[in-house]
Amino acid sequence: MIVEIGHFALVLSLATAIIVSVLPVVGAYRRDASMMAVGTTGSLVMFGLVMLSFASLTWAYVVSDFSVKNVWENSHSLMPLIYKYSGVWGNHEGSMMLWLLILVFFSALVAVFGRNIPDTLKANVLAVQAWISLAFLLFILLTSNPFTRLDPAPAEGQDLNPILQDFGLAIHPPLLYLGYVGFSVCFSFAVAALMEGRIDAAWARWVRPWTLAAWTFLTAGIAMGSYWAYYELGWGGWWFWDPVENASFMPWLAGTALLHSALVMEKREALKIWTVLLAIMTFSLSLLGTFLVRSGVLTSVHAFATDPSRGIFILCILAIFIGGAFMLFAWRAPTLKAGGLFAPISREGSLVLNNLILTVSTATVLTGTLYPLVLETLTGEKISVGAPFFNMTFGLLMLPLLIAVPLGPMLAWKRADLLGAFQRLWVFAGLALLAGLVLWYMQNGGPILVIFGLALGCWGMLGAVADLWYRGNFGKLPVMTSLRRLKGLPRSAWGTALAHFGLGVTVIGIVAASAFSTEHVVEMKQGQTAQSGGYSLTFDGFREAVGPNFTEERGHFTVSTGGVVVADVWSSKRMYTARRMPTTEAGILTFGLSQLYVSLGDPMDGGGIVVRIWWKPLILCIWGGCLIMMIGGFVSLSDRRLRVGAPRRKAKAVKAVMEPAE
Amino acid sequence: MILWILLALLTAIVAAALLYPLYRRPEALAPDNAGEIEVYRDQMKELDRDRAGGLISAEEAEYARAEIGRRLLAAAGKENVDAADAAKASGLRRMAIGIVTVAPPAIGLCLYIMLGSPGLPDQPLEARLANPGNDMSLLVAKAERHLAQNPNDGSGWDILAPIYFRTARLGDAELAYRNAIRLIGPSAARLSGLGETLVVANDGIVTEDARSAFEEAVKLEPGDVRARFYVGVAQEQAGKADEAKATFEEIAKASPPDAPWMGLINEHIAKNGGSAAASAGSAPFLKSLSEDDMGAVEGMSQDDRQEMIRGMVDSLASRLEAEPDNIEGWLRLVRSYMVLGDREKAQAALTTARGHFSADGNEGRQLAALAVETGLPAEGAGKAEAPDAAPQGTAPQGVAPEGVTQ
Repeated sequence: MIVEIGHFALVLSLATAIIVSVLPVVGAYRRDASMMAVGTTGSLVMFGLVMLSFASLTWAYVVSDFSVKNVWENSHSLMPLIYKYSGVWGNHEGSMMLWLLILVFFSALVAVFGRNIPDTLKANVLAVQAWISLAFLLFILLTSNPFTRLDPAPAEGQDLNPILQDFGLAIHPPLLYLGYVGFSVCFSFAVAALMEGRIDAAWARWVRPWTLAAWTFLTAGIAMGSYWAYYELGWGGWWFWDPVENASFMPWLAGTALLHSALVMEKREALKIWTVLLAIMTFSLSLLGTFLVRSGVLTSVHAFATDPSRGIFILCILAIFIGGAFMLFAWRAPTLKAGGLFAPISREGSLVLNNLILTVSTATVLTGTLYPLVLETLTGEKISVGAPFFNMTFGLLMLPLLIAVPLGPMLAWKRADLLGAFQRLWVFAGLALLAGLVLWYMQNGGPILVIFGLALGCWGMLGAVADLWYRGNFGKLPVMTSLRRLKGLPRSAWGTALAHFGLGVTVIGIVAASAFSTEHVVEMKQGQTAQSGGYSLTFDGFREAVGPNFTEERGHFTVSTGGVVVADVWSSKRMYTARRMPTTEAGILTFGLSQLYVSLGDPMDGGGIVVRIWWKPLILCIWGGCLIMMIGGFVSLSDRRLRVGAPRRKAKAVKAVMEPAE
Repeated sequence: MILWILLALLTAIVAAALLYPLYRRPEALAPDNAGEIEVYRDQMKELDRDRAGGLISAEEAEYARAEIGRRLLAAAGKENVDAADAAKASGLRRMAIGIVTVAPPAIGLCLYIMLGSPGLPDQPLEARLANPGNDMSLLVAKAERHLAQNPNDGSGWDILAPIYFRTARLGDAELAYRNAIRLIGPSAARLSGLGETLVVANDGIVTEDARSAFEEAVKLEPGDVRARFYVGVAQEQAGKADEAKATFEEIAKASPPDAPWMGLINEHIAKNGGSAAASAGSAPFLKSLSEDDMGAVEGMSQDDRQEMIRGMVDSLASRLEAEPDNIEGWLRLVRSYMVLGDREKAQAALTTARGHFSADGNEGRQLAALAVETGLPAEGAGKAEAPDAAPQGTAPQGVAPEGVTQ
């Protein structure tokens, strides 16, 4: 009964979505407060219904109700409880449910926290959100219904894909979707504003928290996914330029551009048209990513749940929303007034450069992702565009951007003195280069580009420090005064500095892990020793172990350096009983920011086993940097200015004052 | 019924929540530009703070102030469209109220009836396992859970193996047989079971693996008809017609003339005697209960065993009600009741079975033989026609027909 109530709640939320799609728009047009208010209530009702539905599906997973087909296909009664929860979205139907849940969650957030937004704008935003919800509700109910039942019910499920039976599944998709879907709010704001025909600096401020929240979650989601792939897939790689990864990376690039251009719009009311276009493009890329992953046009390490017949449906959603939004844009954009002017060398100018590079690199990634698909469709030829292409194009594009990052925040609005900024930064540039050299010597080897890359990372980090340094006016004022000044800085300034610092950290991680990693593939027998990264690993042999739903052979390694045992590590090969599917569980040892990564290969005839050992120097910087960026996002999000608006009480007062005047 | 009441309730709540803003006295609309004005005022304040903190120069601040001031003026100068009069909009609102009242129940109900399964109750696994009834698959699941935690329980694997085989889970069957052999040692039944699994999994080809399993089984128990039969098939498939013929003839010699597998044995003798054509070697299997299962059940705990046997027997009995022409099923059912010590049910089953088949036919004869074997009083005709059925009771346990007759 619980399952059926969940199913009904989903159907009911479809009915609600239809109402919320229509009434608030009519209300906004006729300026009818009651009908606009239906948008607010309706969005909350939808969130409640989808929540109920999602909870009942989760319940079916937790109690292993195999009369639900989706549960039978993707769960097993012996699976640990946490995977029963996370397994809900470890499949196509469930992940679409999560998508929907987060979409209506954002609608509900707009409904609750959007009090400072003008009523008509809010009503239209909620209606556009409801259109998207409606499309995905139809998609779920008609092509991917998770509530399909089986009668008679099977006695045991088919188990969740073992690669997904990991804590990563519990975190990565929700974070990623919070980012992906969060951009829907920016899209809705853009469409709503185009419908109303007015976009100004205030609009940029209203959108900013949503962009920032989505961007922050997407950053965390991508980083988490990367780390998950790194430790679970056992290849030692952390980014594969896989289409599914690109699908989440493109909205991130576009979203980063949006974040920066919205800044210009808010401050100077310039770049209006461009910002609106970016808001539409960012969510379009999210939708495109959903299409690529969910339709089954790709077959890659990530695309576990695919069904080609669903592709057409998502393609229609894609065409309607992206096409519709661009048509609206083409119709309305020419009526928008241009905003403030600025000189090429200015804060605005640097942000335009940022946008230029980010959009071009988005286009590059898009090309590299779609080109093989287009080629295969047209000629049937299968090619894969891999790391060399992306490293060449994307890497080159990133160079000027990374150089410019520390300069941007130093420049003044409207017109600025680049030379002055350089003068202020040259000490830090020198320090960065020095730090890069030091790092290079410490790692002992590597081409010139590596030094440059490391220096670039340090440049990013130090640039952020310099930004704070000059804002605090350290060196000219007493230290205490400077610290007080720092404390008084707006949170968004801190956020900027933190995010830019994090970017630098990530760059260092990427450069170091790419340039200094060592890989050893050796056949080892019990008692043998291998060397990697200055550590000796002794293989102590196997032990068999039984997990809740798998059996495993665990290899034990003792790690020593200079004859002293420093650690030990288990690396294992698992066999999941229900699917009879093997997985490798890499053993990972962390030394500072570097990691030793041990993965087991195939057993050999002589009783030995192939062991892959990687030494990954400074690799944790990659994700640590992302973490810092994420923290920067949250700090900026907590800026009180983002909550500013017209509270109701005040609004009435204003009205009261103005009425006599009319 | 409770479900429908709850669904109706849910619908009512949703409709009520959506109707609330439409019935409530409309709140006065804030002027369009109030939000904007507030934002620009805040920008001004921020500017002052930045200036006071020395973050921007006086000149920059002046420029910015002028710009924000212009925006503020523009926003304040925007014409405000007045909120719609509540009375004017009443027609439209009535329509909205109509839509909101009708849409949730109408759309919800139509779609749900199309997509949902209101008749199906929830079926949490724990509850089903606690009360498995005669659902064979649940019993298997129970055994699997036990084995997942105790993978070294050989007798458990031994019980599951033939059941997997009969339910066409060949990969599982092979693994279970191998585990059982590894853990509690080889026996003729296990080895020939493994062999048969391999044969079926390889579309009837007796592979090298399978052949050695059968040969070992014969070594352990020379009377194992099933193993010997497959050894013959292997020889036949290898093109050794003479050897195959000899093997089949030996089986025939050792079997009672009316043993159910004799037809098939004779067929193979003829095939290898006449021309040595390759055999189809098909080995389909029965999805039902065999004595193998019964024997294996001994390894389980008392409770488990009783439950498992009862579950399997009940499911077989109910299936036979639906398809009474399944002679193998009837034979097994009667034997199962005998194993359980339930003579009355065995007798009843035997009588029912005899009602379905003519006494003169092959099936009738088999039932008569069974009656003699089990010592059940055979009512009606047929007994006289099976004078030498008694030896069948001592026939090898590995019942070849299950692999051969169908």
